[in-house]
Amino acid sequence: MITIDNLHIQLGGFNLRDINLQIAENDFFMLMGPSGAGKTIILEAIAGLVPVKSGRITVAGQDITHLPPEKRGISIVYQDYALFPHLTVANNIRYGLQFQKIEKSEGDKRLDQLLGLLNLQHLANRSPETLSGGEQQRVAMARALIVNPQVLLLDEPLSALDPRLREEFRVLLKQIHQQTEATILMVTHDFAEALALGQRGAIINMGKIEQSGTMEDLFQRPQSTMVAGFVGMKNLFSVSLQGETARIKGLQVQLGHRDSEGQGFIAIRPEDIVLSSGQLQSSMRNCFKGRVEQVISQGFYYEVHVNVDGVSFCALVTKGALLEMELQEGKEIYLFFKSTAIHTF
Amino acid sequence: MRYKDFFFWGTFACAVTVIAFITLPLLQMLSAPSLEVLLETIVDKDVFNSILLSLSAATLAALISFIFGTPLAYLLSRREFRGKRLVEGIIDLPIIIPHPVIGIAILSITGRNYWFGQFLTDLGIRIMGSVTGIVTVMVFVAIPFYIKAAKEGFDAISPRLENVSRSLGASMFSTFFRITFPLAWRSMLAGLIMACARAISEFGAIVIVAYHPMIAPVMIYERFESYGLKYSQPVAVWLIAVCLVLFLLLRILTTRQKKNV
Amino acid sequence: MKNNHQQFIAVIIFLFCFTPFSALATPHGIVTIFHAGSLTVPMVAMEKAFEAKYPEVDIQREPSGSSKAARKISDLGKPCDIMAAADYKVIDKLLRPDFTDNNIRFASNRMVLCYTDQSRYADIISEKNWVAILQKPDVVWGHSAPDLDPCGYRTLMVLQLAEKYYQQPDLYQKTIANRPVRNVRPKAVELISLLQTGNMDYAWEYRSVAVQHNLQFVEMPDQINLGNYKFDADYAQATVEVSGKKPGTTMTMQGKSITYGITLLKDAPNREAATAFLAFMLDSSGGLKILEEMGQPPFVPARVATAEMRAVLPLPLQPLVTVQQ
Repeated sequence: MITIDNLHIQLGGFNLRDINLQIAENDFFMLMGPSGAGKTIILEAIAGLVPVKSGRITVAGQDITHLPPEKRGISIVYQDYALFPHLTVANNIRYGLQFQKIEKSEGDKRLDQLLGLLNLQHLANRSPETLSGGEQQRVAMARALIVNPQVLLLDEPLSALDPRLREEFRVLLKQIHQQTEATILMVTHDFAEALALGQRGAIINMGKIEQSGTMEDLFQRPQSTMVAGFVGMKNLFSVSLQGETARIKGLQVQLGHRDSEGQGFIAIRPEDIVLSSGQLQSSMRNCFKGRVEQVISQGFYYEVHVNVDGVSFCALVTKGALLEMELQEGKEIYLFFKSTAIHTF
Repeated sequence: MRYKDFFFWGTFACAVTVIAFITLPLLQMLSAPSLEVLLETIVDKDVFNSILLSLSAATLAALISFIFGTPLAYLLSRREFRGKRLVEGIIDLPIIIPHPVIGIAILSITGRNYWFGQFLTDLGIRIMGSVTGIVTVMVFVAIPFYIKAAKEGFDAISPRLENVSRSLGASMFSTFFRITFPLAWRSMLAGLIMACARAISEFGAIVIVAYHPMIAPVMIYERFESYGLKYSQPVAVWLIAVCLVLFLLLRILTTRQKKNV
Repeated sequence: MKNNHQQFIAVIIFLFCFTPFSALATPHGIVTIFHAGSLTVPMVAMEKAFEAKYPEVDIQREPSGSSKAARKISDLGKPCDIMAAADYKVIDKLLRPDFTDNNIRFASNRMVLCYTDQSRYADIISEKNWVAILQKPDVVWGHSAPDLDPCGYRTLMVLQLAEKYYQQPDLYQKTIANRPVRNVRPKAVELISLLQTGNMDYAWEYRSVAVQHNLQFVEMPDQINLGNYKFDADYAQATVEVSGKKPGTTMTMQGKSITYGITLLKDAPNREAATAFLAFMLDSSGGLKILEEMGQPPFVPARVATAEMRAVLPLPLQPLVTVQQ
């Protein structure tokens, strides 16, 4: 549906090069990366709002690289909503209709539909400045959807909302995606959010695309330390690969399969590391004895850092498990993980 | 501040000094002529015409500034380009150049001895001693004020609003009229008022280009030079009074709107 | 002993008294001069020469129309040491006796019609056809304001005299009809920049000014150019009404050969330095020589009307003037 070929954008301090993306129709595509990586710029380039130095953007088979924004049929919802302060909520939403060649009755119908879908009926005549963050967000969505865009661009739509609203909105976004069958491209710096909503995505860092693919690919099979770090793979180690094992300093880790020789990386999700006070009878190939270095509370769960012969592992435990194992700094503990949990690259 | 310390009194003293500095001379002038003299003055055809000329020429100058200054102000607000600082510096020039120098410069390029002046003469346009010349000088000195105010107005509008408008199908033109202008008009109007005020009060540049027809400041000057203070004060009082009323009205109109929103 | 002591102290005191006086004897401070615009170039030269001789003195000049200069003193009460007018009558009418008791006539001039080689019809204009050319609708010509500048009313006088001289009864009307009010400027010298930028084709000025500014000019016959006292009887036929002392009043200026006058004002703030300047200016090897060099024929020596007037002049100036009606 959307193909981006070798896009090169230079804007202000940003320099984005070799941007190549493929987004399928009705995809919910996530554009992720740390702040300042250039994600919003890519969105704006697709919408035609920033100039492109070289490269090509194709939407539904049409080369739109040099098409002005008003002809692209691509709606954008900004992080700060950008509602028109001088228009009421209803007129904000209706704004795009005057440039479409549709009957007034059709326009009214769409307006009613969206007001209903987004629960905005009671706010129709209010001024945008009187609305709460969540309400403004919904108005911005309605405004973008009323023109039946072929592509919907969302720039960090959830980051300004409190956690409860964020949850509500995630549900709403899923709903919208299903009902409108639009192709959605969403920018976020929160991987958990991306994972919950998206099907496919790409991770951008310092103006370049690090990796793209399905969310699962990114989650389980990061191709670089940056991506691994971004998707929350906390146990990242530089290793020397020797056949079926990998050496992390003095430690030998069973890979369970033959891998290449030489230097490489392994990564293990903290959720895949099991801690135990004593030896476990299990099929887990890797078993080490270590000492607890640090216990960090993360709210409902705890990060436990365990030192095994100078190598620091990070595991996640529940509060219950923490108390049961009496985990505290200095305690001796056993560490287990399956060889299948190890991801090499 | 609960207690009145040095900072408070110091600030207060400065404020009073500045206000007094501005109002004392004006109060003296406004109270000097008697009502009888004031009436006599305004029915004098020459005086009436000079004030009328000042007001109408200044309004025209403000309008011209609006038409030509708005696109430039918008460009400066939205775009970065090489030489932008230079352009901004050039726009500031009319404020820095001494007024007689402005008059001499305009007189020189519009005289027949310069190619541009020859071109104007061929077209039948006369600058020296004409209303055209007066308006030209007024635009020269007033347009920087308009451009600055309009630019600030545009700066205050997030470009994202315009981006959204365009993404929804509006052309740049449509966007300007439906989004940018409705949000910026107050700044633009403030800019027009400033430009108009600046144009009305201009003397040094206009007197060189056109002594006749006489704008009010030139009439005040001539009466002063010929007969002295008593004869010129009433004209000054009328000019100040008319301008004050007009500008106060405009200010009230715009601030009232602000409160409504 | 006592006597010597007393004498000694008396001498010291005596000497002390004299020292400040001798210091005052050198002119110093600011001297304010209001003068006619047409005197600007020679005045600048005189200022330089005088300040070179007396570095303690700072001459501050304000050029303007002579009538305007007089009103600055009489109506506005602006402080001034010396006033020099292009028409000595202005001093007599507007400043004597309230503001001054002297009026020294020091130079003459004559009216010419100035132009540049960019002016329309510059290639053909001459004494024979200037009237016709000034009446052409595409010609832009002007003069200074008669109410503010003697050069202005003198222009009108020249035109009146020309009417009689050339025996064209409607000359004045027709010529003035081709001079809209926008071509009238407060100061004749302003007209020069209009000529130089091509905003005006012809302007009336004094011959000295035309020479000083390298303008081309048409000489007028002596009978009409107000430059030759022998024709005073003819000149007297021309009269112009200009604004009088009070607004709404008028006074009549009668044609006379152009005579420049200078005066030391009664309330001169720096009488001493001003007198020194006048002594320099009225010296035949000083200011008068400079005038001569700049194309403005001086009266050597300068003249005052009566012996009484001469007697009230400061001592250093009395030998520099003669009494002549």
